[in-house]
Amino acid sequence: MEAASKQKVPLQNRLGIKGWVWAGRYKIERYLYTLHRLTGLGLAAYITIHLIANGFRLGGEGNWTDLMNIFSNPGIKVGEYLVMAAFIIHALNGGRLMLQHLGITLGKPKPPVYPYVDSMRRRRPLIWVMLTLMAALAIYTLVAFVIGE
Amino acid sequence: MEKITFKVQRYDPDHDKKPRIQQFVIPFKHGMTVLDGLIYIKENVDNTLSFRSSCRMGICGSCGMLINNLPMLACHTPIEELKKDTITVKSLPNFPIVRDLVPDLSSLFAKHKSVKPYIIAPDMAEIEKPTAEFLQAQGQLEEFVQFAYCVKCGLCMAACPTVATDRHFLGPQPLAQAYRYSADRRDGGAKERFKHTDTHHGIWLCHLAGACSEACPKGVDPALAMQLLKRAIISDSLRLRKKPVPPSVAQPLAEKKPRVAVPEFTIKKPGAKS
Amino acid sequence: MREVHWKLLQYITGIGIFFLVGYHLIFSHFQSDEVTEWSSVSSRAASAGWFTFYVLILIFGIYHVLHGIRGIILEFSLPQSAVKALDWAIVLIGVAVFGYAVYIPINGFIS
Repeated sequence: MEAASKQKVPLQNRLGIKGWVWAGRYKIERYLYTLHRLTGLGLAAYITIHLIANGFRLGGEGNWTDLMNIFSNPGIKVGEYLVMAAFIIHALNGGRLMLQHLGITLGKPKPPVYPYVDSMRRRRPLIWVMLTLMAALAIYTLVAFVIGE
Repeated sequence: MEKITFKVQRYDPDHDKKPRIQQFVIPFKHGMTVLDGLIYIKENVDNTLSFRSSCRMGICGSCGMLINNLPMLACHTPIEELKKDTITVKSLPNFPIVRDLVPDLSSLFAKHKSVKPYIIAPDMAEIEKPTAEFLQAQGQLEEFVQFAYCVKCGLCMAACPTVATDRHFLGPQPLAQAYRYSADRRDGGAKERFKHTDTHHGIWLCHLAGACSEACPKGVDPALAMQLLKRAIISDSLRLRKKPVPPSVAQPLAEKKPRVAVPEFTIKKPGAKS
Repeated sequence: MREVHWKLLQYITGIGIFFLVGYHLIFSHFQSDEVTEWSSVSSRAASAGWFTFYVLILIFGIYHVLHGIRGIILEFSLPQSAVKALDWAIVLIGVAVFGYAVYIPINGFIS
């Protein structure tokens, strides 16, 4: 084993990117943050591909029709549905975050009395409403637009 | 007698390149806390185990650790409440490890100091040499008193996903304290704190994961404080923030009771004049 | 502009995207295949209303995405000296992407 240096530097112990994804036995709000980030990055990647695909229009009808034939693949339809689901999750969760960032739905501070319940847990019903809406929209989209075609 | 297994993170900077887990099996008694278990290990099994503790009643914030994957105060965590036969204890994440379960909290204190966690009043003479009490209504006190219960244990910083990657991010504790003082009507330093927190590594890197409030052992709810700070900064930037009226100082009493003379000493010193 | 102003724009573009992209997803992606046929695409390209719609989506969408990515990059302990360089890089990428993307509806509108 190496001998100790005169000035011992404490060992770095940051969780890093792993800390974004999973960090411990936290409740649902902590993992909604992870979901918001993942859906945001997914949508950003999709938009990049979408803008490149739109550029095919500049090549005229032939180019465009060839591209649409590729996109009529059933696998692409599944991908489009996932994009729609990511949009629903990111939009509804983003709306909730915007309201809570402005302190609108979190309530007022009050002196803590044990057992402590923080503002986000007191507003858990809002999360349930949001998740129900997400699930309803995701199922409706699946039935109306994907299966229904 | 029942037994309980402790899996404790060990790290000796003189001998270890990275932390390792050491297992201890110790007797369990009803009502035992995680700190009691660690003290038992230190006193009876391995006296090289290092950890911080002081008040053992959840008020000093010294014994913050990662217990079964959640930051908690060891003295405030009864083993029975964890409902497990094996207790895994590690040093607080997002802080460097000095040794075993001892984190280096200097970054927390430096960030806390940077938000000026003290009253900056227009009339500092009254703050430094008070003549009477400030007249603050109960409602005005309740605007910030919840956030004044902070014991600087660092559990919120350990829970925060932004602190996990960004060492420049101020973090839940300093930002909550920035709001605590800005919301106090005796204070006039809100703009100075807004300038410091409305920056690249300031309040806007909080994405409301809420883990800080979940981990807080004193019910301080730093997530709420941070969102209220965002609201205050937004309304200040749009010039919608009403400047709070500072509380007045209590007036001296109109009638004063006669001062009672100090009684003579009953036991005279040798050689003193009677 | 302070950080708070960029964040307010993030909220405003988020609300805008909710309506604009929501309509776009329903209209363009989940209708029948006729919507993506060349004749339908060309007729929309010649419409002033659709042109405005696409330009707005691009402005709101590009700002919202790039501001979000900037926030994520800042979380990697970016030093103060690199923040200005990041901001300029984001602005240049945004202008370049907008320039490329807006050329498509402009081309369709003019021709």
